[in-house]
Amino acid sequence: MKTIPNAHKRRWRSMRLVAGGLVLALALAACADEDAEVDDPGTDIDDADDPDVDIDDGVEGEEGDDGEAAPADSGDSLLNTVQDRGAVVCGVNDAVPGFGLTTEDGDFEGFDIDFCRAIAAAVIGDADAVELIPLTAEARFTALQSGEIDVLVRNTTWTAARDGGEGGAFTLPTFYDGQGMMVRADSGISSIDDMEGAAICVLSGTTTELNLETEMASRGLSYEAATFEDNDTLQEAFIADRCDGWTSDRSQLAAIRSAFPDGPDSVSVLDEVISKEPLGPAVRDGDSQWLDAVNWTVIATMIGEEFGVDSSNVNDLVESVDVDEQPALARFLGVAGFDPGLGLPEDFAVQVISQVGNYAEIFERNVGPDTGLGLEREQNALYTDGGLHYPPPY
Amino acid sequence: MSASTETSPSDRAHRPPFWRDVRIIRIALQVGFLVAVGALLFWLFDNLTVNLRVLGIRRDFGFLDQPTGVPILGSDFRAQSPIRDALLVGLYNILRVAVPGILTALVIGTLVGVGRLSTNWLVRRAAGIYVEVLRNVPPLVMLIFFYIAVLQQLPAQADSITAGPFALLNVRGVYLPSIQLSAGPAPVFFGVLGLALVAAIVLGVLRTRRFDATGQPHRRVPLGVLLFLGIATLGWLALGRPLGLQLPVIEGRGVDGGYRMIPEQAAVFIALVLYTSSFIAEIVRGSIQAVAKGQTEASNALGLSGLQRLRFVVLPQALRIATPSAGNEFLNLTKNVSLGVFVAYPELLRIGRQAVGNGFPAPQLLFIVSAGYLALSLGISLFTNLANRRLQLSER
Repeated sequence: MKTIPNAHKRRWRSMRLVAGGLVLALALAACADEDAEVDDPGTDIDDADDPDVDIDDGVEGEEGDDGEAAPADSGDSLLNTVQDRGAVVCGVNDAVPGFGLTTEDGDFEGFDIDFCRAIAAAVIGDADAVELIPLTAEARFTALQSGEIDVLVRNTTWTAARDGGEGGAFTLPTFYDGQGMMVRADSGISSIDDMEGAAICVLSGTTTELNLETEMASRGLSYEAATFEDNDTLQEAFIADRCDGWTSDRSQLAAIRSAFPDGPDSVSVLDEVISKEPLGPAVRDGDSQWLDAVNWTVIATMIGEEFGVDSSNVNDLVESVDVDEQPALARFLGVAGFDPGLGLPEDFAVQVISQVGNYAEIFERNVGPDTGLGLEREQNALYTDGGLHYPPPY
Repeated sequence: MSASTETSPSDRAHRPPFWRDVRIIRIALQVGFLVAVGALLFWLFDNLTVNLRVLGIRRDFGFLDQPTGVPILGSDFRAQSPIRDALLVGLYNILRVAVPGILTALVIGTLVGVGRLSTNWLVRRAAGIYVEVLRNVPPLVMLIFFYIAVLQQLPAQADSITAGPFALLNVRGVYLPSIQLSAGPAPVFFGVLGLALVAAIVLGVLRTRRFDATGQPHRRVPLGVLLFLGIATLGWLALGRPLGLQLPVIEGRGVDGGYRMIPEQAAVFIALVLYTSSFIAEIVRGSIQAVAKGQTEASNALGLSGLQRLRFVVLPQALRIATPSAGNEFLNLTKNVSLGVFVAYPELLRIGRQAVGNGFPAPQLLFIVSAGYLALSLGISLFTNLANRRLQLSER
């Protein structure tokens, strides 16, 4: 008698296994169907190719469900949602001095944080109407895709895959960076060519790893890369000599060097720049009105510098500007009755500059020569000063 | 046996209407539950695909053939190999910690578990402290402690700790001699090894028969090992030493030759073995205490020594009790390998996340990572269930 219930139990167990297998198989089959549906000859060519197809058939199929397909329909833009909510939710960094860092009081400060505040000033009229969510490098696009954040301002490099497959849409770059290599000052390494067989520490989830591989492969050097989840563990490993080099964006290396435990002189950043890194805010794909709002906030800071408008004189200029003599400036300051139709308040540029500052102010305050980072403007100067920032006309 | 088989014709006439019939309600509830779960899964999946389509994110698995673009720490993996292969390396790296980890944790756990019941005060206390400390520290804390506070404090490469020419220990890893095969006679030598193994097993069987017949001690294990080693050594010499040792040598910034265990792997291995062995020790202790006291008394009465009592009477019965719970600990150890992401150990999750960071689609990769860990866990479950069933069958 005793063996019969056991036999039952055994049959049950195998049935459960079969059922589990079925569920898995179904899920796989479903995925395979999806695969077949969207598959096109271009699948294996490039990430950026495929999503185009997806978007097209997405728009056709989704039109009935929601009005996302019509950009003119302002009722559905994130812009309105943000204005109704009264706060902009930004995904930011909390561990890079100068760009995004938690202060001792628990606030955030930095270059990227200021751009988040600028967006709040433009959209809502109050630079403090922000909610800042610190994100890891890996989690940032998932957070953006899922709608957890409205805009990602977290020293993020604009790349094809992020614009395409990851569903991001980038504004003009706020900061032109390049990847560099930091070594211990006593390591005897003066160029990347000295690094045959070296161990190099990298932060996970960044374009950095791919650039490093490209650079080392083109120089024919062998190396090993240790990929860390956070900068703190990485720094411990670098100090302990686990790695010969630490590669990251040069702005970040400057920040890390400025706060290095053994003093900034114990490490040095090599002269070589191994990549292009245009950093800027990103929003979700498919909402051009919100993208425009964020983009023109960024542009406004640069136009402000171009016109010589800063936080100290902006309010006087609003009073004194002559619409006939300086029409461009008057339009920019919103006193000429001109509405470009961005969905932003007419005086958004005034709000941005009076509450946060123009591009030069934001740069100098966070990363400029007088800060710990001590970065010069170089390629981050306006085009009129030989830099790369070329804001479109307002 | 149960009510349903004993239903008589008269009962059938008195059956309640179907909405109050327990048998029908039972089946209906189960079917209903299955449909509800199915619908929920379908809804979740549909939601995901619709959202991905709206966002213009790819939903297929075609990306698996694209080049990974980055190398993998502690492996010969080439950056141009497809992402599919990188994920396989990740799976392999889980096993590289889990398999030796499970075996080591089992051995240490058994020793400590027995130690907790020792009559020697010092041994008992030491085992008790071992269990209480290790069991109550989160494995992630132990992992980071061993990585940063122990392994990262080792000397730099140039000042390596050495054990003669054989082994190196430094902040970049543990280097041991590796076995080098010479091309020609090596396959023949493996044949010799096979022969030696067969001979050893035959000897063991013969000794066992003799033991059954005469009751003289069989000593089949030491004799078998001796025979195996003897034949293997003779074969090795006769074939002109086809296997050699390759010693690790510092060469430039790296180390040439030998077997290397990267510190990340060592940290995960040490932390998980210590953590899991404390739980296994408790399981072993409980199982020993669950063996009827009469068994111990009987073996004492037979005049068995303490070791013999453990080896022949108590442990065989205790292990039978311990198998299912120990299986859970093996599962935990395997799943905990995923904590390696925090110390740059390239197991499956690390590689999946790295790929997500490099622009490959997150939903599919998370699915693959979960499926990988699930497959390993189910494999271990199956294994322990089989072992359990075999052991249970010998019970009355």
